[in-house]
Amino acid sequence: MRQLRSLWVGWLPGVLAALGLLGFAVMLFVVLLRSAGTLSLSSLDPQTLHVVKFTLYQALLSTILSVGLGLLLAWALAHQPRFRGRSLLIALFSSSLVLPTLVVVFGLIGIYGRNGWINQLLFWVSGDDLGSYLYGLFGILLAHVYLNASFASRAFLHAFESIPQEKHKLAKSLGFGVWQRFWIVEWPSLKQTVWSSAATIFLLCFTSFAIVLILGGSPKYNTIEVAIYEAVKLDFDLPMALKLALIQLALTSVLVLLSSSFRSPITNLKKSTAHIIWQESRGIIWLQRGLILLFTLFFVTPLLSIVAEGVDAGLWQIVQRPIFRQALMTSLAVAILSALLTLLLVLVLSAAKRNFDMPTRLGRSPWARLWSLLITLSGNLYLAIPTLVMGLGFFLLALHSALPRTLWAWIAILTANVLMSLPFAMAVIYPQMMKISQRYDKLSFSLGLGRRERFFAVELPYLRGVMAYVFALAFCLSLGDLGIIALFGNESFMTLPWYLYGLMGSYQSRDAAGVALVMLLLSVAVFVWVPKLFGGRDVTHR
Amino acid sequence: MLHIDDLSYVYKREEPPYRYSMQVDAGEIAAVMGSSGSGKSTLLDLIAGFLQPQEGCICLDGKHLEHLPIEKRGVSILFQNHNLFEHLSVAKNIRLGRKEATDKEIADILEEVGLGGYEKRLASELSGGQQQRVALSRVLLRREPILLLDEPFAGLDEQTKSQILDLVREITDRHSLHTVMVTHDPEDAKHIADRRYLMHDHRLTPQ
Amino acid sequence: MRKTLLIFLFSIIALYSASKPTLTVYTYGSFTAPWGAAAKVKEAFEKEHNATLKFVSASSAIGALRKIQLEGIQTKADILMGLDTATMEMAKKTGLFAPHDLNLSRISLPVSYSDDTFVPYDYSYFAFVYDSDIVKKPPSSFEALAHMPKDFKIIIEDPRSATPGMGLLLWIKTVYGDRASAYWQCLSPHILTITKGWSEAYTLFLKGEADMVLSYTTSPAYHQYMEHRDDIKAALFKEGHYGQIEVAAMLKRTKHPDLAKAFLDFLLSEKFAEIIPTTNWSYPVRTPASGLPKVFETLPRPKQMLLMDPKHVEQYRKEYLREWLRAIGQ
Repeated sequence: MRQLRSLWVGWLPGVLAALGLLGFAVMLFVVLLRSAGTLSLSSLDPQTLHVVKFTLYQALLSTILSVGLGLLLAWALAHQPRFRGRSLLIALFSSSLVLPTLVVVFGLIGIYGRNGWINQLLFWVSGDDLGSYLYGLFGILLAHVYLNASFASRAFLHAFESIPQEKHKLAKSLGFGVWQRFWIVEWPSLKQTVWSSAATIFLLCFTSFAIVLILGGSPKYNTIEVAIYEAVKLDFDLPMALKLALIQLALTSVLVLLSSSFRSPITNLKKSTAHIIWQESRGIIWLQRGLILLFTLFFVTPLLSIVAEGVDAGLWQIVQRPIFRQALMTSLAVAILSALLTLLLVLVLSAAKRNFDMPTRLGRSPWARLWSLLITLSGNLYLAIPTLVMGLGFFLLALHSALPRTLWAWIAILTANVLMSLPFAMAVIYPQMMKISQRYDKLSFSLGLGRRERFFAVELPYLRGVMAYVFALAFCLSLGDLGIIALFGNESFMTLPWYLYGLMGSYQSRDAAGVALVMLLLSVAVFVWVPKLFGGRDVTHR
Repeated sequence: MLHIDDLSYVYKREEPPYRYSMQVDAGEIAAVMGSSGSGKSTLLDLIAGFLQPQEGCICLDGKHLEHLPIEKRGVSILFQNHNLFEHLSVAKNIRLGRKEATDKEIADILEEVGLGGYEKRLASELSGGQQQRVALSRVLLRREPILLLDEPFAGLDEQTKSQILDLVREITDRHSLHTVMVTHDPEDAKHIADRRYLMHDHRLTPQ
Repeated sequence: MRKTLLIFLFSIIALYSASKPTLTVYTYGSFTAPWGAAAKVKEAFEKEHNATLKFVSASSAIGALRKIQLEGIQTKADILMGLDTATMEMAKKTGLFAPHDLNLSRISLPVSYSDDTFVPYDYSYFAFVYDSDIVKKPPSSFEALAHMPKDFKIIIEDPRSATPGMGLLLWIKTVYGDRASAYWQCLSPHILTITKGWSEAYTLFLKGEADMVLSYTTSPAYHQYMEHRDDIKAALFKEGHYGQIEVAAMLKRTKHPDLAKAFLDFLLSEKFAEIIPTTNWSYPVRTPASGLPKVFETLPRPKQMLLMDPKHVEQYRKEYLREWLRAIGQ
């Protein structure tokens, strides 16, 4: 029992952290509701209604397209188990999670913009081009599909490859066609992943900000998040912003409740090796190869255009600008601090949750289930509180506060980044901690290992890899985010995304290309190298 | 007669190839034994056509099978598990064997394996033994001459196992099947097999 | 050691307090552009006054106003420059600005002007600008513009963030009255994009992204004067041209009220009137003794300036904006 009693070190910080996060959420509600005061939500003017409708409409379309395309791609990849560069391609597609949104948008403009590669090619071939077609609903859908389809396909591919080989063999021996194989063998195994991915993607597109801000093109295509931003920054119409924020909050809460079976598809990032043995007919093979080729082109060309334009832009000059250096330093500081805070929080939260969930620990105590639930909730706050709503809350606090605005900007941006990274971090760290406990708890308790020994000897070797991964993930997410900074950024507090947004807004495309390239390289480098450098040897459970 | 003659398959380039020779008459059961990883399941994959041999032949009554596509080889397979699609009913699972099968035929066949009246049940509701019986009834409906069994009884308790082994024996006799059964349990082999082979050192040898 | 440090510190503080006061002016981006008015204005003003003039630019004048509002009590702005008669009443309502106490009789504008808070410093007329090498037959009226071929694209500014955007809104309202909404619906397919400020729109136009851009009748003067290009022209519309009188005001919270007043007075000076035409590319509010630069004399000038009463604009601003959003949004 000595070990059990000493467990409080394992759960108290986590409980405090969870209570802190939930308290923060409550405070945010109070600030918003208090400021709303006599605001009447019952009367929705047609313009607001239009924004709400469009937000739902584009999110629905984006989700259907992303899931559909992701499914097709995963299907093609699953049935083409052997070709050169396959695993590299898959790794590339799953990296879309950490690509800075703004950089992707810049790349898409380089391909599909009025002077993009497609128009240039068409003009070269036929002497005529498509003109301007990117801005508006098409652009929004394109960017959403780019970011989500590729990532969803990774989760779907995992589901495809988790289907027992026997099922495919059986289906083949029973002479199934491609359709029958899909509906009888594959769909039942994919269903759950498809629904949970769809729920996540819908939520992400519903609260989409940066993409809509740039590619929306006109007020016709505003989401609620962008409308909040415009109400604050264009009209300084705080009552309107509050009204929109409360609508947004209500809708996301309903959505999160509806998708309560929601499981982050990110847990499926592990590599699977079960290849499907199935000799396809020639037509299907070409279809699958065509799909993979087209999607690869779709995915890679914007990245290539960033590299091409960035190299062309005279990177050296851009890098030497004081304003660039200032933005770079701020961004690095923000990203590193956010990643460290995320790591700290996720470790404390997961450790506490594990203590409440494990029967060998505190799992049998009466309040364990409740605490465990509260911790889960606090780790997933981001899903219910959209960035701009949180930003508005901070903004209202800052407006009447004597503290320097820059300090508020730091608090707001760090909070937002940590909350954004936490759901992903929890989904990665917690299962790993549980696994370690299930496997070694009885052994290490029976050996009478102390807390410290347990952590350094038993846990750390297995956690290092995922910790490095979470750090890299949180770093990249924080580096690339254009959310809160849009409300708090100014000439003295400038991050790389905000700088890039300013450059793009004023159409200084050469400088923008340089900054986009730097951000892309930085994200990729951190995402690839941090897990390699700090992850240690790969100690995996079998 | 199912005749396998000097069939060879390279599994890993640095290792010698697996070599198989065996024969099974109609109405006979051949048991293939060996430790796990010895290459016994590879034999079934080769017969079924999931893998292509480097050389050698698989002949059924003088007809070469090795270049035929899987669905034309006349093969039914039973695995240790995953033989049914859990979200479909028993009847639907069986009808996947032959689309034109009438309800009467399915009812009769279910009767034959001792599961009369189970048509409407979902496959996921059945016990392990019952699932294997349903899978066997689909084999019957397909009327394919070759039956491949990949340790289909490994997860079952003794009593159920011996019942199903008897059922396999009975079906093989009545429908003149060429049955090849992979198992690691010599008792199973002794219990029902007419011929016994051992996979050892990349080679299949008669016992 | 400690002593020297103290002396060092004191001398810094002494230097700091003895240094000239800084007057901070928030304005739109093109004013502080390399070719813009800011540098010359700064030089001229600092020569006359013992002060440092600092310009801080936002994407647009309205953006600069929002910046002041967003910064709340912490703003560093002393002066806001760049709003116009359509937006100044809105700015007044925020209660952030102080009266100027200046005599405005020195100025001569095409319309009568009087306001106790905002001081006018230049004016021009809104117009669509095109490249005559590319657009051979520019539209000569709003009617003609709406009936241009489908691929004829224009760039306009957002009336919520940019004064030219608001200007176009009021221009069309003046010309079409109750039918304005219907006209916007006809115009909508021709709109390539709606930018947040004038600079973005003009940059896009110069890159060849669109056929015409909403700018000013005086914009071609820049290209003639700076680049000796005659191909950039403003399309004159039969219906007449809406005017823009740009104004500036000082903030109530300014720490240097006298200096701020001096700056507003400077805006009405002859020196400023000499700088403004060839830097901000608009007409000064008084004619300098040397007269207007030559290019301005050859520019086609609308006979009459359409302009709504500022109070009327403020009364209906929200309604007009809603109408506009609906017209282009649905």
